[in-house]
Amino acid sequence: MFATKRLSKELIKIKEHLPPGISIVKSDNLEEWQMDIRVLDENPLYLNQIYRLKFTFNNKYPIEPPEVQFIELPTTSETPRPIPIHPHIYSNGIICLDLLSSAGWSPVQTVESVCMSIQSMLTANSRNERPPGDKDFVSYNRRRPRDINFMYDDDNI
Amino acid sequence: MSFDLKEKGNQLFKQGDYAGAEEMFSQAIQKNPKEPTFFSNRAITRMRLENWAGVEKDARVAIDLFGAKNPSNLKSRYYLAQALLELQRPQEAHEVAVEAYQASLAAKSAQSENLSKTVLRAKQQLWAAKEAARVREQNETLANMERLVEADLQRALNDLQGQLDRGEIGQIGFSEDQKALREDTEKTLQVLRETFAIASKGEIQERVVPDYLIDPITFEIMHDPMITPSGTSFERVAITKYVEQSKVDPITRVPMTVDDLRPNYALKGVCEEFLQKNGWAVDW
Repeated sequence: MFATKRLSKELIKIKEHLPPGISIVKSDNLEEWQMDIRVLDENPLYLNQIYRLKFTFNNKYPIEPPEVQFIELPTTSETPRPIPIHPHIYSNGIICLDLLSSAGWSPVQTVESVCMSIQSMLTANSRNERPPGDKDFVSYNRRRPRDINFMYDDDNI
Repeated sequence: MSFDLKEKGNQLFKQGDYAGAEEMFSQAIQKNPKEPTFFSNRAITRMRLENWAGVEKDARVAIDLFGAKNPSNLKSRYYLAQALLELQRPQEAHEVAVEAYQASLAAKSAQSENLSKTVLRAKQQLWAAKEAARVREQNETLANMERLVEADLQRALNDLQGQLDRGEIGQIGFSEDQKALREDTEKTLQVLRETFAIASKGEIQERVVPDYLIDPITFEIMHDPMITPSGTSFERVAITKYVEQSKVDPITRVPMTVDDLRPNYALKGVCEEFLQKNGWAVDW
């Protein structure tokens, strides 16, 4: 399997350089990493906030996509990390992004490119809302994000 | 009966008792020396025991018994290549690995991935052997030059001693000249060593694999690149695995099948040439 070698190579590159607004906070092993991302422009929805992304890899990475979602750290913690408001991000942190589904994934994507896509997905958004059916989804969904068949009905967000 | 022994051997192997497993397979072979799996199982057991000469022997017998064209022999050919690498015979290992890799592709065998790695490993060892010889040669050259410089100094010192003995120069002049000669020599040796050091360091500094030789899936250097209809090249094992699963081009997402992949011989040639000179790239 390619996963271990490929991830260690990504890690070396990431430690050398990351684009502005993206940083790596946890990479103790090659199964789970955590990244912090920040929106770079003045978008009032995300001003002065930092968000925490959790990447989970299985041994089929990068043939199969990593599992990526936002995780929340309470406002009382030293590093508060809310879940960003976005019509494609559920309040439990699950992200509805074509790129992260088995069908939309490409093995030429990297942790860095995924972070950049999510960063620009936030940058481009102006709607202060959760996806339709957020409450139900959050209370009933027990599936893994990868296995959910999201409807990518509005590509312009 | 002999197959019962094999079964026992397999169980011991799974439990990590390799010495015990080897014994069982050996007994099975005594009862039936025509069964290839007894030899291939003993070969992998001996790999765990790091008995590489034993692996080589068993793997060769297993390949013979399976028959040269039988894809069941691919595992044994993989063991054989591993053993040859461990026995520091990279040329043979490379030959065995390349042939077995080609055969595994033809047979669509799951061994392709391991064999693909072994081909690269063998290329690396071939380079390492050459590189070691080159470093040795360079070191010998340096040692020879140092000897020449020191011999020069000795001659000059002897001349000086002669001049002193014949009363052509005084004791003070002798001491000063002697000191100057030694200092000059020291400087020359220093320049010489620095020059050699720069020459070899230069190569280390340039240890970068160009992006166009790197497979965008595994991030490793390629040795058997395939090109997609949209024009990007990938390592064969990696792109095959991806296309089989997704049935789309990884860049354009246009539907495609494994049959749409073509070998990229020009790029393969470039990779090969690069690896001959830069075996370190395998671990880069």
